Amino acid sequence: MSDMPDFSNVKSGSSSTATKLYEVKSGDSLSRIAKNEYGDASKWPQIFEANKDILKDPNKIFPGQKLKIPPLA
Amino acid sequence: MQSKLRHFALAAVSVVALVACGKKEPPAPPPAPPAPAPAPAPAPAPVGVSLSAVTLGKAVGADKKVAAASETFAKGDTIYASIDTSGAGSATLVAKWTYSKDGKTVPVKEDSATITPSGPATSEFHISKPDGWPAGDYGVEILLDGKSVATKSFKVQ
Repeated sequence: MSDMPDFSNVKSGSSSTATKLYEVKSGDSLSRIAKNEYGDASKWPQIFEANKDILKDPNKIFPGQKLKIPPLA
Repeated sequence: MQSKLRHFALAAVSVVALVACGKKEPPAPPPAPPAPAPAPAPAPAPVGVSLSAVTLGKAVGADKKVAAASETFAKGDTIYASIDTSGAGSATLVAKWTYSKDGKTVPVKEDSATITPSGPATSEFHISKPDGWPAGDYGVEILLDGKSVATKSFKVQ
């Protein structure tokens, strides 16, 4: 039995002043990505706007797509 | 009289011959000016993204920079690693957080972010633990495109 602490409930995140690239995973939605990246699911239109070159419908994103995550304005 | 004429004729022929022999070629054209030296190559642009600094702290601003650097944290703190980079392009940053005790090191969390800066940028990674951090020695290793570029140690008291 290890006497090391349990770190399984550690929460983490990251952000940047530069545009980030995010690879869509199975089960993702723009609002879920906005929640993870910005801490606010309602910011999803910002991600949609930044990716209009590859997204026609905000409800249709696919695993493997690489989305630009712009820094919050 | 005939003899004089003959002499005159000979002299005339000689003069013509001498003039003909002394005829000079037209002067050679001046040498072409040397080709202009090639323009100096422009200074190479910085290649890729490189790390400038890593700072730890308890909070970051909108610029993702730590206002007050710290290497000691309390049980309930969120711990931030603010990473300054220079250069442009695409790069993947990884933060590997670890905990060490009695000479053993275990992973706490690992996160990555791919950024596409067009110049100097600041990125941050942060970790928190809802039930509080165990006291002890921690570290964070920053990798840039798979290469370890910085390591920082800190304590939770």
